[in-house]
Amino acid sequence: MASEGEDPDLALLEGVGRGEQAAVRRLLDARLPRILALARRLLADPDEAQDVAQETFLRAWKQAPSWRPGQARFDTWLHRVALNLCRDRLRRRRETIMAQPPEVIDAGPTGEGALLGVQIGGRIEAALAALPERQREAILLCHHQGLGNKEAAALLGVSVETLESLLGRGRRAMRAALADLMEAVR
Amino acid sequence: MTPDRFAELAAAHGGDIGRWPQDLREAARAALAADPHGLGAVLAAEADLDRLLDLAPAQSADAALLGRLLEAAPKPRRSASAWWAGLAAGLGLAVATVAGVAVGVASGAGERLDRRADAILAAAYDQPEPDTAAEALEEATDL
Repeated sequence: MASEGEDPDLALLEGVGRGEQAAVRRLLDARLPRILALARRLLADPDEAQDVAQETFLRAWKQAPSWRPGQARFDTWLHRVALNLCRDRLRRRRETIMAQPPEVIDAGPTGEGALLGVQIGGRIEAALAALPERQREAILLCHHQGLGNKEAAALLGVSVETLESLLGRGRRAMRAALADLMEAVR
Repeated sequence: MTPDRFAELAAAHGGDIGRWPQDLREAARAALAADPHGLGAVLAAEADLDRLLDLAPAQSADAALLGRLLEAAPKPRRSASAWWAGLAAGLGLAVATVAGVAVGVASGAGERLDRRADAILAAAYDQPEPDTAAEALEEATDL
């Protein structure tokens, strides 16, 4: 879980602001996979996840030369930008779905093959997608992204107590949705 | 920390106390030490769910995305020596431009002076000032 002290990305970010390619590469190595994973798990779409990750870092490059230490940690800022971009896409997707109902895809178990890794991944992705938006975001930010509870609560605009409640309900729903798979991970 | 509170926190933050909010970990470890069997089972059940959640698909960046982001990243600013070299080159160009203009202006002034001299000579010989070089040549030929 991330500590909430000094920003570990600050030196790299200053290098990026000066146009140092080594700093750009190191920052991408450290942060791009995290943002890509968040976008992928929120959107359940690899192409859209790449688009969101690209837009997030293009905005970061614009910010880097004028970044002021002491405001949000850079990683938190990246998460905020990516989260908002994903929310926009999910909102547009919902509007499209309301206008034109999509083909229903059954993500349920299909016998023995359901335990194959890729199918387990698909089940988990589908279960996450079925959660209410705030519960899904809480689980992704805390469990998958490893953000601290204060940081995640701030990103969601809720108190730490509300975050704890979102996490508890979200995990209960995931457990119920994936009950048949629990044996596989024991 | 009561066993119920411990279970609530495990249900929210999972089976690894090291991933719980920092300010609660010490009390949680103390509670676990007091009831390792009961609270250990609570943690184990949540750890099963943690492992399942970890299987949610992620993805790695492809080379094209990395290439676009590297290309779009801020470029190095010019160093001080490069800046001074640029300034010197600019100044050189400016000096050359000014010199060129000065020569051009001076040539024009010379032409005007020549025309003035012609006028004075024409007056001295009581001749009308020729309007053009062709007229002047014609007059000279007549002489």
